[in-house]
Amino acid sequence: MKTQIFKNDILKENYSLATLDNGLKVYIMEKPEFNTVYAVFGTKYGSIDTAFSLNGGKTVKVPEGIAHFLEHKLFESEDGDAFTKYAKTGAYANAFTSFDKTCYLFSCSSMFEENLDILLNFVQSPYFTAATVEKEQGIIGQEIRMYDDSPSWCVLFNTLRAMYHNNPVKIDIAGTVESIAQIDDKLLYECYNTFYNPSNMFICIAGNVDATKVIAKISSLVKNTAPVKIERITPDEPETVVSGYIEKNLDVALPLFCFGYKLNLKNEPTLYDTVCFDVLLKIISSDITPLYKKLTDEKLINDEFDGEFFTGRGYAALLFDGESAEPKRVAESIKQEVLRIKKEGIDKECFEAVKRDIYGGVIKRYNSVEDIVMSFIDSAVCDYNSFDELEIIKNLKVEDVEKYLEYLVLENTVLSVVSPR
Amino acid sequence: MKPTVIAEGVDGLFIQNNRFNTTLVSFNFYLPLAEKDVSVNALLPYVLTSCSQKYKTFTELNLALNMLYGAGLSVSVSKIGDAQLIKIAISVINDEYSIDNEQVIQKATDLLMNLIFEPKVDGEAFCETDVEREKRKAREHILGEINDKRLYARKRLIAEMFKGSEYAVSAYGTTELLDKVDGTALFNAWQNMLSTAYVRVQLVGKTLPDNFFAAITDKFSKYNRKVNNGYKNLTELKPRTEINNVTERLDVAQGKLVMGFSSDVWGTDAYALTVATDIFGGGTYSGLFSNVREKLSLCYYCSASANKNKGYVMVDSGVEFKNAACAKEEILNQLKLVQNGEFEDNVFAASKKNILNSLNSSYDSLGALDNWYCANIYCDDIKAPEEVGKIITDLTLEEIISAAKGIKLNTVFMLLGKEGE
Repeated sequence: MKTQIFKNDILKENYSLATLDNGLKVYIMEKPEFNTVYAVFGTKYGSIDTAFSLNGGKTVKVPEGIAHFLEHKLFESEDGDAFTKYAKTGAYANAFTSFDKTCYLFSCSSMFEENLDILLNFVQSPYFTAATVEKEQGIIGQEIRMYDDSPSWCVLFNTLRAMYHNNPVKIDIAGTVESIAQIDDKLLYECYNTFYNPSNMFICIAGNVDATKVIAKISSLVKNTAPVKIERITPDEPETVVSGYIEKNLDVALPLFCFGYKLNLKNEPTLYDTVCFDVLLKIISSDITPLYKKLTDEKLINDEFDGEFFTGRGYAALLFDGESAEPKRVAESIKQEVLRIKKEGIDKECFEAVKRDIYGGVIKRYNSVEDIVMSFIDSAVCDYNSFDELEIIKNLKVEDVEKYLEYLVLENTVLSVVSPR
Repeated sequence: MKPTVIAEGVDGLFIQNNRFNTTLVSFNFYLPLAEKDVSVNALLPYVLTSCSQKYKTFTELNLALNMLYGAGLSVSVSKIGDAQLIKIAISVINDEYSIDNEQVIQKATDLLMNLIFEPKVDGEAFCETDVEREKRKAREHILGEINDKRLYARKRLIAEMFKGSEYAVSAYGTTELLDKVDGTALFNAWQNMLSTAYVRVQLVGKTLPDNFFAAITDKFSKYNRKVNNGYKNLTELKPRTEINNVTERLDVAQGKLVMGFSSDVWGTDAYALTVATDIFGGGTYSGLFSNVREKLSLCYYCSASANKNKGYVMVDSGVEFKNAACAKEEILNQLKLVQNGEFEDNVFAASKKNILNSLNSSYDSLGALDNWYCANIYCDDIKAPEEVGKIITDLTLEEIISAAKGIKLNTVFMLLGKEGE
């Protein structure tokens, strides 16, 4: 086992990162002044992992939505479900599946050790039978239908469907009623045994804990399984988009839109790339920009307007979403503003203001044990040190960010709209 | 905790907490909830926080916020008992985290006071362009409430259940009321708020800056303060002899079933109602989660919450259309079990633990602490979360069952699809 300690003088914080012999990574920040401990046990396995091979074996293709299905099923063990166990300690417990990860979490203000036992135990004790799988298909079917009624969910996934030809980021995280019908207990075990290997997993904790003791406890409780080699098979993805425009009708008052640039990055984005895209996004569209003023004055956006650098393994996009009576005019204005910035360069005053804003945002993150854990999860999945963000932002220059404008290509944009019926 | 009186009907509360690297300052204005005034009052904080005498445009204002390390300016409008609460708050990093040891807390507080006390006005009216811009956004916000069907269904239940009382109206009011608002009406509402609202100024953070409350005393000295305490005499939901059943149809894939109940036990000290509701439909151990959702798979989500001030309980669920009648029956059956004391001792213990966990956790969030204290306006003695924790711990099973017995069905709101109409 190897343990590193990272310190940051500006934040006046430090954290431990232990890498166990089985490959499991453990991130812990001691926050003795907090009442709550927040803990996550996660795996680098999400909805995009639809084809893979284990240790050089044959390629396995699995139904869409299986990672999310597995998350639901893992709460049940042979000796009862995890929620019943947590009820005895009073902890809040939950789980979530995203594109590239699945995470199991709890937060508690007492009985931390007992809660950690429950978490480590149920995530490491899969128990699936044909009968329990069938029951879950009904429950998840209801969850999928709930998303069908969510305009914000539809507008995002339609954007991804119009943006990506083959990349599995375009599929719904929960799958479809048809795809989850193909899931059985054998497939679940196959996915579990591949992706829930400690070498593909991480534990992130922040709160009133003793890092050394917790690391020792975790290393005694995690299974000493040999590390595996996972090959994820991602289909080739053309640089172009499938379609520049996509629309759906739902019961909404005002049209919802999502406008995005598909970014064809040569490599997986580093922390530095992420900071640069975050800065660029704010320079284009935050509430201090000429674009925001123009769109507000022209009655085209309201307070729902927002932007996101959307990225994960094998995909990246710059997305702008909101509500508007005229989404096409909003999209056109964004395109024009990007062209203007490309031509005239980034405004220096705006750049300094954005830097300060992001700097303050990083500091605020360390106010919340949940936010600290979420940044550890990003660190674990993307393999970076989140403390570096403050230094990157402090030293960033206008010309560093201007280089990223070249990724914003007019032809590779998508406008997704959810309109009233 | 006893507040500091800083002016006639203006109380100051310093909520000292060492764990945060940011400070939050909030101005809370409590006005009697009255349908005719609700929209103009709700619009006011949005206009006040969009510009001022000093910051002529929202772009200038947002630039100033960015330069204060992304100080977060926030507005919320809500109903607390029979009061309409207008909250205007700012959160900012502590001075020690600024790059040049700037006095950012003082600057942020000055900015907040500038917005509240020195708005951009033209004679005795707010500027028409600012009013019209914010009116449009408010209108879009009200209309957009239909986008989230879960929130929409809850709002509709309240409107139906409290029909004929001021509480029926949503905190933001209606588009019809909004249309009548102009610059003069808004100016009068501003003067009324500063002269007649009960005001609570709260600071959550490490230290109270020198002369913090004195500066606010000075601001209010210009007003002839006479507080309107019309909201102080709380009125509760009255039981009905005949259940009010309302069904609405929209183009949705999944239905919503929301049920409202009156309660015999109500008021600020009705903690037994909180626990009884939690056993009925709070955590994972509750009847609604463990039976209606998990065991019977009748709903994808199903939970209950209590409003002590207004004496009602609300059950909120997402159902398949075909299951709606069955779910309703089972929800009522679960209530009956709580009323008969037919739940296990460990459920009673789990519920108390869950509530204590959430009370303890509120100390770890600036926003949660601020909200906790500003919701405490109906009793002279302001209780800290841990004091309420002690009361909850001491509650007996008999007190809980007695509170549960006073819960009676009042109104049922169903949102169903258009198919099978």
